[in-house]
Amino acid sequence: MVTLMIVLKSIVIGALVGFGVGAGAARMFHAPNVQGMGAFRTFGELNACAGDPISHFSFGLGFLFNSWASVVGAGALTQDVDHRVIPNWAAAVLLWRNKNVAETLHNPKQMAIAGAAVGVVVVTLLNSTATAIPESMQLVATKVLVPAANWLINPIMPIVFWMAAMDAGKRTGMWGTVLGGMSHLVMGNAVPGIVLGILIGKGLDDSGWNKITKSMFIAVILLFVFSGFFRGFDVALLKSMSVEIPQWLIELHETFGSVVKK
Amino acid sequence: MGELQAKGFWYSEWAFPLFVACLSSGIFAGTHLYYVYHVGAFNDIAIVAMLEAGIKGGGYGAAAAFGASFLFARVLEGPLVGILDIGGSLQTGIGIGVPALMLGAGFTAPLTSFPLALTTGALLGLIIGTVIILIRKYTINASNSTFGADVMMGAGNAAGRYLGPLIVISAIMASIPVGLGATAGAAIFYYYNKPIAGGAIIGAMLLGAIFPIPTQ
Repeated sequence: MVTLMIVLKSIVIGALVGFGVGAGAARMFHAPNVQGMGAFRTFGELNACAGDPISHFSFGLGFLFNSWASVVGAGALTQDVDHRVIPNWAAAVLLWRNKNVAETLHNPKQMAIAGAAVGVVVVTLLNSTATAIPESMQLVATKVLVPAANWLINPIMPIVFWMAAMDAGKRTGMWGTVLGGMSHLVMGNAVPGIVLGILIGKGLDDSGWNKITKSMFIAVILLFVFSGFFRGFDVALLKSMSVEIPQWLIELHETFGSVVKK
Repeated sequence: MGELQAKGFWYSEWAFPLFVACLSSGIFAGTHLYYVYHVGAFNDIAIVAMLEAGIKGGGYGAAAAFGASFLFARVLEGPLVGILDIGGSLQTGIGIGVPALMLGAGFTAPLTSFPLALTTGALLGLIIGTVIILIRKYTINASNSTFGADVMMGAGNAAGRYLGPLIVISAIMASIPVGLGATAGAAIFYYYNKPIAGGAIIGAMLLGAIFPIPTQ
């Protein structure tokens, strides 16, 4: 019964996701005149095997295995289903019959329809096979994959992003370092802060302080203030400095439903 | 030739929010599947683990902040570079960040009901798509900067490469047979030019099925 529900829901989800991914991927080939959606790596990879259905198919298949292991292990489909499997298989299906990329891979209508079909098959297959997992394999997931994934989030990803920011120029490195450190304090992980640092640093490098960079800067400040407040960073900061928490701050937190521990 | 074709509904600006709505509806419903059946979240293990930490009672703060800031950064970046990164904006932002915010606030209905999950995702996608088209209208000609998209992409890909070795190390620390399996799997996948994380996982699971990891 549960499996049936998962299959039925997966069919709907797969069709929706595949439709969007397919249309977005084809539109990437017309960017920046047309707003596309996908990822730079998807774009690069699609270009790398453009025109050859077998390359597209085997590239997608490699990542399907990866996703399959991940969904069986932890219930996570991986981002590769949307980034790699669906776009490449949709491309393979279309190119099988017509080798002209302008009429197939670069055509949002064709790619949306092919993507929806591929999405139904892939998502349903992955989700339905994952429910029949023995207990010992679940154990591998929790004992092996979860620690590895936790290390990846912290500290590997912050370090890699941090170094990329520092290698990309003095200004980017500076913004990345400051916002990264703040973000690790306030949000629990430095990556979002470093990404924002790169965004601002590169924006300043390329165009200086203009309307766009200024509003981005203000938005970043607001983001930090709000996430700091909602995660109780303000209270924790005062406490670790042995400053008494003012009553109005405790009340302000209470109006938003969070209780300040004494 | 592509330029001549680039007209009509499928290439239009206003079709974009519809495509985003479809995709984020599916992604949000995927998180619903994960919440209810523990399968089908459209994201990597590392990021789903943050949501799982919240579901297990560890607090949704990390997932919410991580997802929301990625969504924010990608929505700014998308219109500027012409490609919306669905990994950061929709899969992490809509699929993990928004659910974490809702669950953190005790608002579980959009995640327990399938139709509601589809509708919530579609509405959020429609809003994001519209915002992007609006930002595009006002900025695309005002700036030539890509805001370091290449730097972030490079770092994102580089970070992904670490997962394979991390899984092998983690497997070796879990038990000897699982460690051997992960090592062999990684080696085989490397030989065939596949991402070694996949081989390490399959190797660890095969050996882990035959020789279960002892629970203390």
